[in-house]
Amino acid sequence: MAVRNLDGTQHHIHLKAGDIGGYVLLPGDPGRCEVIAKYFDEPQFVAQNREYVTYTGTLLGEKVSVTSTGIGCPSTAIAVEELAAIGAHTFIRVGTSGGIQPGTHTGDVAVVTGAIRDEGTSLHYMPVEFPAVADMDVVLALKAGAERAGIPYRLGITQSKDSFYGEIEPERMPVSEHLLERWKAWVMGGAVCSEMESAVLFILSSMYRKRASGVMLMSCSMDMAPKTEAEIAEAASLFDIHRAIRTAIEGLKVLIQNDKAKK
Amino acid sequence: MKESEIKYHIQMKQGDVGRYVLLPGDPGRCDLIAQSFDDAKLVASNREYRTFTGTLLGEKVSVTSTGIGGPSTAIAVEELIQIGADTFIRVGTSGGMQPEQIPGELAICLAAIRDEGTTMHYMPPEFPAVADMETTLAIREAAEKLHVPYRVGITQSKDSFYGQHQPERMPIADRLQQRWKAWKMGGAICSEMEASTLFVLGNIYRKRTGGVMLIAANQESKDPNAGVVEKLDDVIAVAIESLKILIEHDRRAAGK
Repeated sequence: MAVRNLDGTQHHIHLKAGDIGGYVLLPGDPGRCEVIAKYFDEPQFVAQNREYVTYTGTLLGEKVSVTSTGIGCPSTAIAVEELAAIGAHTFIRVGTSGGIQPGTHTGDVAVVTGAIRDEGTSLHYMPVEFPAVADMDVVLALKAGAERAGIPYRLGITQSKDSFYGEIEPERMPVSEHLLERWKAWVMGGAVCSEMESAVLFILSSMYRKRASGVMLMSCSMDMAPKTEAEIAEAASLFDIHRAIRTAIEGLKVLIQNDKAKK
Repeated sequence: MKESEIKYHIQMKQGDVGRYVLLPGDPGRCDLIAQSFDDAKLVASNREYRTFTGTLLGEKVSVTSTGIGGPSTAIAVEELIQIGADTFIRVGTSGGMQPEQIPGELAICLAAIRDEGTTMHYMPPEFPAVADMETTLAIREAAEKLHVPYRVGITQSKDSFYGQHQPERMPIADRLQQRWKAWKMGGAICSEMEASTLFVLGNIYRKRTGGVMLIAANQESKDPNAGVVEKLDDVIAVAIESLKILIEHDRRAAGK
């Protein structure tokens, strides 16, 4: 399937079968892999190449891994292709995002059910009309994970975009009207958060019959922007990636238990 | 727009339907589905829109036909929402898309391929047509409870029936065949003509939507003897049971 190196490892992620578990957490930032791996039992550093860092350990006795994807769908597609080729069957994206719906508090998490394909990579695989949709059982497990971790959550659609600054500062882009008009449509459609990798993860997972969803830490929606110094300090302390990681780890445990019960 | 007004196409006003509505395509199937309600009464019939209202577990429920395709479905859903409906389950027939699917099984629609024109009048095509999770779970629970074989997955909602069944005779044959191949590789489990519109409108208006389809035939089947199943008993029974599950769930959530 994917391209291999002479030593038998996958071309970009530098991993081979046996190096990872079937369950893989996918942060964007390589620096977060070590942080996430600390939640595993017996975590081991396995490989690092470019933006791809991998640790493998166990949870409830089951082999699990964390591999970073880098920012954006192009590098995420490569990671998912190569991980699927060496035995990964379940992907949970863990990351940060911007909250979209009015009333969203900083530090709440989004459990992602589907993604807006506002990016170019998945069009190299599948016509645009095909829905980027998460796996229902993974979504349910992550929802249970948020409840167990006691983190307020929203279930819903994420916008997966290619341009970070196009979202943050649309007015300075040559295509500003286009960006603003589409953003309005995503808000009206109920999208809960905005990030940059989920859409391609979901499209590839549908194609390869793998399971995927994601947990995103959200920053507040514009109407909830902190004003006083105390509010700003509180928001900063709540924008803590550990809230998303705890949700993902608790959710992954629920999923592992459910999978074992089915066997 | 006032709720008390009679809506232009469906010819109904507030009070004529329950919040829970089943949506078949075929007006002729409304009568059949209404037989599973308690105290079902014909409420209105205009164009392809035929509605019966009755009760399930003492809760008011309705069935309204959408006609074939996204355009007439969008009108039905818009007007039903305006008179108070908030939970929709599409009930219909479809063709299988994966070789192992057996006619007679059900497809529970998690999301839909927007292979149609109507939703482009609402939302850019990158937006996923996803069903409501709670509704989809209720349908899955109903299928489990009634021991009806099912699969959960993506449906292709297309605008052209004959473009799917006889692509070779269309001027854009190559494009149709190429896209069909992509949908199959993506794991789509059934092909019908209304779900994507229902799901996109459900997201816009924050209403609950789901879909359950009978796999009536499977042109991709490995089994040359795989026939055609037109018996709607199972798909209707599962849709009715799903509504009961949602009604009970909603009552628990409301502390009743």
